[in-house]
Amino acid sequence: MEKEKDSLVGTEFATTRRRFMISTGAVLAGSMLARPAIAQAKELTIISNIGNADQRAVLQRLADEYAKASGVAVTINNMDHEAHKTAIRSYLVVGAPDVCFWFSGNRMKAFVKRGLFDDMSDLYEREGYKKVLGASTGALTVDDRQYGLPLGGLLWGMFYRKDVFEQKGWTAPATIEDLLALGEQAKSAGMVPVSMGTKEMWPAAGWFDHMNLRISGLEKHLALMDGKLAYTDASLKPVFDKWQELIRTDLFTPNHTSSGWEQAAAALAQKKAAMMDLGGFIKYGFPPEDVDKIAYAPFPVIDKAMPRYEDFSLNSVHIPKNGKNKENARDFLAYFYKPENLAAFLETESAVPPRNDCPPSKDPLINAAVESMKTVVGTAQYYDRDTDPDMAQEGLKGFQEFMVKPERRDQILERLEGTRKRIFKD
Amino acid sequence: MSQFWRRHRHWLAPTLFILPGALLFGIVIILASVQTIWVSFFDWDGVGPMQWVGLANYEQLAADPQFYTSLKNNVIWLVMFMLAPPLGLALALLLNQAIAGMKFLKSLFFVPLVLASVTVGVVFTWVYDPTFGLLSLIYGWFGATAPALLSDEHLVSFAVVIAALWPQIAFCLVLFLAGLNNLNEDLIGAGRVDGARGFAMLLHVVLPQLREVSFIALAVTVIGALRSFDMVAVMTSGGPFGSSTVLAYQMYEQSIFSYRFGYGAAIATVLFAIMAVFIAWYLRTLLRPEQETA
Repeated sequence: MEKEKDSLVGTEFATTRRRFMISTGAVLAGSMLARPAIAQAKELTIISNIGNADQRAVLQRLADEYAKASGVAVTINNMDHEAHKTAIRSYLVVGAPDVCFWFSGNRMKAFVKRGLFDDMSDLYEREGYKKVLGASTGALTVDDRQYGLPLGGLLWGMFYRKDVFEQKGWTAPATIEDLLALGEQAKSAGMVPVSMGTKEMWPAAGWFDHMNLRISGLEKHLALMDGKLAYTDASLKPVFDKWQELIRTDLFTPNHTSSGWEQAAAALAQKKAAMMDLGGFIKYGFPPEDVDKIAYAPFPVIDKAMPRYEDFSLNSVHIPKNGKNKENARDFLAYFYKPENLAAFLETESAVPPRNDCPPSKDPLINAAVESMKTVVGTAQYYDRDTDPDMAQEGLKGFQEFMVKPERRDQILERLEGTRKRIFKD
Repeated sequence: MSQFWRRHRHWLAPTLFILPGALLFGIVIILASVQTIWVSFFDWDGVGPMQWVGLANYEQLAADPQFYTSLKNNVIWLVMFMLAPPLGLALALLLNQAIAGMKFLKSLFFVPLVLASVTVGVVFTWVYDPTFGLLSLIYGWFGATAPALLSDEHLVSFAVVIAALWPQIAFCLVLFLAGLNNLNEDLIGAGRVDGARGFAMLLHVVLPQLREVSFIALAVTVIGALRSFDMVAVMTSGGPFGSSTVLAYQMYEQSIFSYRFGYGAAIATVLFAIMAVFIAWYLRTLLRPEQETA
């Protein structure tokens, strides 16, 4: 996307295009946000992409508390999580709210580069966030400036039912050999070893991430994500060899392209599958009374010499550059980001708090993740968060295809390599 | 003023009446189409600056295997959708009889029309589900295992089209039922006097009177097949690995998920060209009888 930056001709067209969008958008925005002009100084608009009702309730509560204390009228506009991913690109340009939710890392950088997110380094300074945030600040930093606050981190790994494992006398697999052995036992017990639903495609890419991190390590993985390593590179061969072996032994759910991750998680909850590769939000696939049966284990070790790298995706909250009430936004975020408030907000999705001074959680899934993070040496975010969105789209499709037709490996990798060359221009 | 009005009303009145529609059509349809074609010559991510690339998007399209998959699927849609008008007609003839309880039966056949196509898509996704779907239950009774239709790259398009055909047949059925109600009784009586019965009556007396309706049914069906998008989006998201993608969905996917608005616009332009051919034929046929009577 950088490739278009220096074209003068292009900029000219962009302004006319933007003006067109502004004029059409203004009609929409005007009808939605029309309110007495008097109240303007004391206003705050938040666009939330939160799908989880409990979490929405916490945000609403915090907003109400803040509104009461400050006299600012807070409006929260809730959007569907997926629809928000496309809507954000137009609303950041036309009709920006004062606060919005997004994802840190490359996805944030895309908007920072276009000057659509406000520099929040002053808030970091004022509230002393750098001290309590530690390493997660990095995911929100571009050229030494901070452009957002990190929210919950999702640690990816293998989830299983404690009660089932106890009853069968199984232990969580520590190595890939253990996983294969467990797979045989699960199959003979009439269960699917690893529950997989690739209808939305990303779970297949997650599996690729985790295998690549275990076999090639973080540095090579990030090089691939940044488009600096070819998809046909020899270092990827052992990853696909191993993956192919797993597929051929029927480790994964048959016809996994027919079901989404929620169905796959339900299969785990219903004891039809032994394990599943996901984040803490797997609990939404479980009935409330079974949530305490869920246990976490890191993705099995493949190369014993490789340090432990994991996918740890960090959501975030931002102040759009074109928002109107940037001071109110900062005040609200300072309130929202207080340790106890942030912890209440994150508790609902079993995400790891980025602040080190949050009160300890009662959720065993969070505590397991926090405990586990202590031995993690380095983190990536997730395939479709780490690489260019265009590349991600093709990659997700390719990994899904590989999981169904592993014999097409060369064809798929050639295609991905073609896409990589087109996007990263080398 | 009234002098002015009287002198000019022969053209002022129609202009004023047409103006709102023309304005809306001009902005929403014409301007948007022209702009889409214009965008297709650029490399643009939807937010940043646009860069002129000439025909590069079309060159990439010509080399994109996904494009040919989409095109092939559009053909599958088009061919299978052609079943809708004859099936709708057959059902209409069946339901157009004065038998007790027919009204109730008719209303049952209207049901898919009432449902949003997204609902139809979700329902059919459940029907096709290989673990708990209706289809797997039916196969189960015979001791067989149902194929996972939405996971099979060769069958998935057909499975989606069948789901989409359901409301489409109902739509044609409604059109033909309306047409059957408007049949000229005199002509049918005359036919009967001349000894026309059954199939001969249908072919020579009823069908010619349904010519207009059939034409509309056909046109609506062709356009429905070409602009198919919602069913694909709901049932498969174009998957598995792009094998059920159609042009409209590929355009959406490229623009929205891959941030390639120029490329998406190029796909839209190709789709527009295909539709334009059909629309030209449609307009020609539509205008001809009017000219004859004029």
